[in-house]
Amino acid sequence: MQQTLEDFFKVVRSAGVEISVADSIETSKTIELVGYRDRGILKDALALSLAKTVEEKDALYECFEQYFSFGAFQNDGLLKKQTLEQKPTEEQSTELAKAEPQTQKEQAPADYKGDLELAKLLLRNDKAELAQSMKKAAREAKITDIWIFTQKGINTQKIMNEMGLRELNKEIASIGSGDCPAERALAGQLRTAQKYLYQEVRNYVEQQLAMFGKTASQSIHEEFLKSSRLSNIEKRDFQVMVKIVKKMAKRLSSLHSKKRKRKDRGQLDFRKTLRSNVAYDGVMFNIYWKSKVVDKPRILALCDISPSVSSYSRFLLLFLYSLSDVLDKIDTCVFTNSLIDVNDIFEQYPVQQAVNKIVSQLGMGGSDYGNTLLDLKNDYMDKIDNKTTVILLGDARNNNLAPQTEVMKLLYKRAKRVIWLTPEMESFWGTGDSEMLKYKPYCHIVKECNTITHLEQMVDTILKVSAQTA
Amino acid sequence: MKDLYDNKFQSVEDIQQQFEEHNYICSSQIATCTYIAHNLQKPVMVEGPAGVGKTELAKTTAEILGVPLVRLQCYEGLDESKALYEWKYGKQLLYTQLLKDKLSEVLDGATGLRESMAKLESHDDLFFSEGFLEPRPLYKALQEEHGCVLLIDEIDKSDHEFEAFLLEILSEFQVSIPELGTLGAKIKPLVFLTSNNTREMSDALKRRCLHLHIDFPDAKLERRILNSRVPKLSENLRHEVVSFVQQVRELDIKKAPSISETIDWAKTLLLLHAEHLDSAIVKDTLNVILKFEEDIDAVNEQLSTLIKKAQPNKE
Repeated sequence: MQQTLEDFFKVVRSAGVEISVADSIETSKTIELVGYRDRGILKDALALSLAKTVEEKDALYECFEQYFSFGAFQNDGLLKKQTLEQKPTEEQSTELAKAEPQTQKEQAPADYKGDLELAKLLLRNDKAELAQSMKKAAREAKITDIWIFTQKGINTQKIMNEMGLRELNKEIASIGSGDCPAERALAGQLRTAQKYLYQEVRNYVEQQLAMFGKTASQSIHEEFLKSSRLSNIEKRDFQVMVKIVKKMAKRLSSLHSKKRKRKDRGQLDFRKTLRSNVAYDGVMFNIYWKSKVVDKPRILALCDISPSVSSYSRFLLLFLYSLSDVLDKIDTCVFTNSLIDVNDIFEQYPVQQAVNKIVSQLGMGGSDYGNTLLDLKNDYMDKIDNKTTVILLGDARNNNLAPQTEVMKLLYKRAKRVIWLTPEMESFWGTGDSEMLKYKPYCHIVKECNTITHLEQMVDTILKVSAQTA
Repeated sequence: MKDLYDNKFQSVEDIQQQFEEHNYICSSQIATCTYIAHNLQKPVMVEGPAGVGKTELAKTTAEILGVPLVRLQCYEGLDESKALYEWKYGKQLLYTQLLKDKLSEVLDGATGLRESMAKLESHDDLFFSEGFLEPRPLYKALQEEHGCVLLIDEIDKSDHEFEAFLLEILSEFQVSIPELGTLGAKIKPLVFLTSNNTREMSDALKRRCLHLHIDFPDAKLERRILNSRVPKLSENLRHEVVSFVQQVRELDIKKAPSISETIDWAKTLLLLHAEHLDSAIVKDTLNVILKFEEDIDAVNEQLSTLIKKAQPNKE
């Protein structure tokens, strides 16, 4: 059973649940305790000790149903009904097998006299034994290593061979070579059974691929997504992207939260220490340190959500809000031709939902950077001080309207940093209606940013700089 | 008095039954979790929305096992001195003052600084012994003669540092006190950690625990819970209350009513001698299950449909 359990871990891992070696040892102990008797309890026990979040639990339940289902050899389509439920003994069933074809005016197949186990099983149509033998063969063939669909054929072949396909073929050839019609009928029957077996094994291999192949194909897919332009990412991949973003955010926040901690301790806070130790006659039992106010970066994000760049804004926002641990405060405004404060939407809904809402409800029309900057000057300048990092995301394509660069200049003077992220490559800056080159002098950083990896690097820079200056 | 682990649970069903006798109706998942935790002596991390019975689970387990419940409420800024132990500074100071006069006896005519120091040192670190130790919940839990159920409530409110500090306790069931050395548990306590998921716990902590997620119960389970907690409530009204609350949970509101709020509401209705839900009484008592003005407004808008749906038998 240990092997079964280990294979199950493999399935669960490929579904994205991380299981360490220690986890698997602990789980084995747990399963030893609860046993395999009760399916429900087994499922609960596995979920309790392996899954660490609700999502992981759901994934695990799905895997459990997939893995511990016994669907093999349930389809009788190809095999003639040789056994009837009411007549369990072998003799009777062979009699019946004889009797049935006779009514159809066919030659009754001869009794099988050889000693090939597989042939016997097939003729008897012993589903449980067949399934057992197939699983054993599959284990020998290392089916759990399958990871890509091109391996289906070879794995099917391996399992069939392991089960004794070659011998079966020989047997069929030798039985069918004679003149006896009954023997020929038997050979025909075996051939049909062989086909049936092939189908079942192939089916089984496909199921295994679906379970075990997930990790490899997923990681390839994820790598691909990480390096593809954000505007090209399809809607169906959004879920995967959200996962990737969360993973990156978690990594970044654990990286940067540690850095801050080191700078926590400072000088002795003499006043506080004295005050609290008056009760002890001035003997210093409780010591207080002056702790520095940790300077978490405060961010004002201005995102262009006109159709051409909305998908970039979507992921930037997703990223920023996943980092709430290490960021002090995020203010978000979106714009196409005027500035709209969307903080209340983020307060009301979970991040993903909020982003969807914003992009779908507010994002239409051509961008007008000039007007947006004027709005910023009129309504938001008082929010920006020397602790604020302003992130602007947009392609700076202003539809030939006034660029209002003087507001950018003001912004540059006031804010701690101004970062402009543009999805366009540098060679396109300033071409056509792009005002990028006019805005560029008033930004601390202007960066091309069109994949999720770019985004990660950029956020990393923001956090790093603020940790150094804190 | 029996020890914590003398009292063996026979099976998962056995737990469910014993819990039921103590008025805690639990799903098989909760029972399985308790069974594993008790047998393998593993801590349990219980997650779920507020008011679904996370804390109650620990309380009931302690009751059934006949051991004390030691509770540690977490909050931001909780540190070792509040959770584990602290020296009784006042007492130490008082004793030094009182014993000033005895100093000459202790020194016993020793002359010179070196000799006096040697004399003093031969008397051990009296001021840093257990007599001057103020035990806090974790220390108490480790010192319990017969074991105990340790409830670390709302662990998600604590800081990262405290979480890291807990790791030693949860895996080894021992703590290091610099002045006294390493202190092991007399009997490993059965640990429940609860979390409302306001922040993600570290993987290291999660790895050491069984992870139990308690969600809002389905209608059937909730009726059973209500029956055991408010037995005087008529069956009709019970059906209506549960059905109504279940519908409210489906709505898009800020805070969905929890089981404890359902129970409170049932008690309220009982007190008001309500026979059936009608819009007047629901309107008056809605604040028992809903805690936000916006939520109450949202439910009020659909009140008549909700009540209608909750009373399938009534015309």
